[in-house]
Amino acid sequence: MTSPGETPHDNSVDDRPPELDPIFVHARREAVVILMVFFVCLTWSVGFYVVDGLQPPGAAAQSTPTVWGLPRWVFWGLLCPWLAVDVFTFWFCFYYMKNDDLDGGSSPNTEGEPGHE
Amino acid sequence: MNDLTTLSLEFFAPLGLFAQAGGGGSNSAIITFAIYIVLVMVLAGLSHRLLQSKSFMSEYFLGSRSLGVWAFALTFAATSSSGGSFIGFPSLVYTHGWVVALWIGSYMVVPIFTMGLLGKRINQVARKTGAITIPDVLRDRFDSPGFGGLATVLIVFFMTFNLIAQFKGGSNILQTLLADVPLFHAAKVFTSDTLAGVPFFGAADAGYFLCLLVFTAAVVVYTAYGGFRAVVWTDVLQGVVMVAGVLIMLPMAIYLVGGMEKATKEIARMTPPRAVSLLIETDEPLASPLVLAKNSWLVSGGEGENRRVFRLAAEARIKSGETTAQVKTDEAAKQHIPAIEITFAKHIASARPTTFTSGGKVVSVHQQVVPEEQKKKTGYDGDGQAGVYMKGPGIDKSSADGFLPLGLAISFFFMWNFSGAGQPSNMVRLMAFKDSNTLRRAIFTVAIYYTLIYFPLVVIFMCAKVLLPGWETDSDRIMPEMAKALTLAMNMPWLAGLLVAAPFAAVMSTMDSFLLMISSALVRDVYQRNINPDAPEKTIKRLTYVVTVVVGLTAMLAAVSPPQFLQDIIVFTGSGLSTSFLAPVSLALYWPRFNRQGAIAGMLSGFLTHMLLYTVGFFESGELEPLQLFGFHPFMVGALASAVVSVVVALTTSPPPEHLVRKFFYRD
Repeated sequence: MTSPGETPHDNSVDDRPPELDPIFVHARREAVVILMVFFVCLTWSVGFYVVDGLQPPGAAAQSTPTVWGLPRWVFWGLLCPWLAVDVFTFWFCFYYMKNDDLDGGSSPNTEGEPGHE
Repeated sequence: MNDLTTLSLEFFAPLGLFAQAGGGGSNSAIITFAIYIVLVMVLAGLSHRLLQSKSFMSEYFLGSRSLGVWAFALTFAATSSSGGSFIGFPSLVYTHGWVVALWIGSYMVVPIFTMGLLGKRINQVARKTGAITIPDVLRDRFDSPGFGGLATVLIVFFMTFNLIAQFKGGSNILQTLLADVPLFHAAKVFTSDTLAGVPFFGAADAGYFLCLLVFTAAVVVYTAYGGFRAVVWTDVLQGVVMVAGVLIMLPMAIYLVGGMEKATKEIARMTPPRAVSLLIETDEPLASPLVLAKNSWLVSGGEGENRRVFRLAAEARIKSGETTAQVKTDEAAKQHIPAIEITFAKHIASARPTTFTSGGKVVSVHQQVVPEEQKKKTGYDGDGQAGVYMKGPGIDKSSADGFLPLGLAISFFFMWNFSGAGQPSNMVRLMAFKDSNTLRRAIFTVAIYYTLIYFPLVVIFMCAKVLLPGWETDSDRIMPEMAKALTLAMNMPWLAGLLVAAPFAAVMSTMDSFLLMISSALVRDVYQRNINPDAPEKTIKRLTYVVTVVVGLTAMLAAVSPPQFLQDIIVFTGSGLSTSFLAPVSLALYWPRFNRQGAIAGMLSGFLTHMLLYTVGFFESGELEPLQLFGFHPFMVGALASAVVSVVVALTTSPPPEHLVRKFFYRD
């Protein structure tokens, strides 16, 4: 059995010590960050809905405060995080995500480019 | 601003309450729309020329893996924004209110999630193996033709359903656009006469059938002729049209309602309409037949407190020599006509009845509400309460918990992201970008693109509740009606063509991709890889064109008798594909220990769980309503089942062959 951190020992394939594909390693690390962002957004938006935007069916009507003409729970629970995620996406794409050479290993020509360590 | 607002609202009263669907200016709209179709065909012609100079299979189905930022970003975005985004979604906003903003809210992370999670890896793996389709990738990753075959079958199964729903959406939009064009009415009469008595086609609505033909011809021709490149280029055009349409509509809608603050306050006072059945009669037998069109307004009780306003939810007819209206149903003609009763005082006061004519004479009709048989109340109808459009869960005629209870809110937040990542049509696009720099830029481009599309759509169609009341009778038509109404109000009817082209573009950009996916599954995965691996390129080419055309025509035939619940079908197929594909593909890309047995078991368990929940739900409700186990959407349950079964089966069976692990997870 081979896990990502382990080295497969199969001399019939290759004698040199195998090294994990850097694109795989980068992609996996980026995927973890993406999953974390997803869960933060889920918690924030659905949490705001529960606290300020959900009224059980049949309950007495409540007034809904507005911000810029939008219901308050929509403004803070959806519009604001939406814009924040756009800012995060900019950082992620241009300063975190690696510019890998998908036909081979990591590109040797990425120095100085955003995303290259 | 106040004066302008007053003017606008006065102008809109006739559009919303007193007129039928839209108004004049349709010739201008048709011209704009025709120009758009010509552009699409030109793009198909150009890509066909490019096709001659490249390897057919890779170019026709994957654009030679060379998509740049704009092509990749917009084809990804446009394919994801299906007819659902511009037809079903506006309909949901209009029907349920602000809560739909949360229903779609997870689109804030969809670009980074659906493109970033699998994009780099799937592109790399596809390049390593030379894969052109998703079944190709799976087959090569596990060295298993059987698994590739299973993936092909599931893709064809779900995408065919979706294709039929998209055909319906496209035809409905075209029908709305052509509603006021005399030539269309003449063609409708001709079609109706021609089809009368023809088995199968005779029962179809002539206008719908005509639009279906035109729509099919346009999409099938440019897709078959130009292949993936044509689909991508037209997606780019369609993506631009969609965002332009939304960005033009947004300020117009906000301006015409007098600002969002004012609109939202009015929405807060609105009470939902009530579903009723009407008995409609004339005083005397008619000399010639009378048609009471769907969406006609009926008013009784004068101007005082007794005034009641109804809108027909179905077309009714009074035959010559008779006095009572009947509605045609699947079983027999009925005298109880489905309608809604308006309950919001402002709309009741300003409504004017539709004028009906028969044999050139104005006919007056009167109606009474038929007491419904005592039925068990199944849904949450808002109980005539104000404020139901401002907060969740939102009214829902089929669920007592409302439209978006907490469990479903969580489900949909998961679903748009995980389901989007698990769509084979998205995965194929992730195999086609040029390099990872293209991927990085495209993710950000799509993030901005979705921000400009989805949240503004919610705002626009909340404004539609103020501007065009009463469309609960036919809410799937609210987008084209709003486009026509806005442009007419701003005295720019020519713009309606562009705005209506936006949802049409959304449907086309999804359909062409799905058409090509089904075609590639049959030609590449079934024929070339299993039946005749040595087939010459000429044969493959010919077969590809024929299969694309045949699939398109077959979907069209299936859509002649139009399926209901466009949005439901789209959700069914989208969630079905992702429950089947997400876990196996993700684990295949990120877990070296994952093996063929785990992948097959995971795919089958996701598919079967999804189908089981929908089947049980169908038998319980008689509609395409899934069983929501513990309040969660079947996607959640199916995807979880698929992931758990994938991992458990992989761990309890033998590890994958070492050469596969080395090939896909270690440096060459």
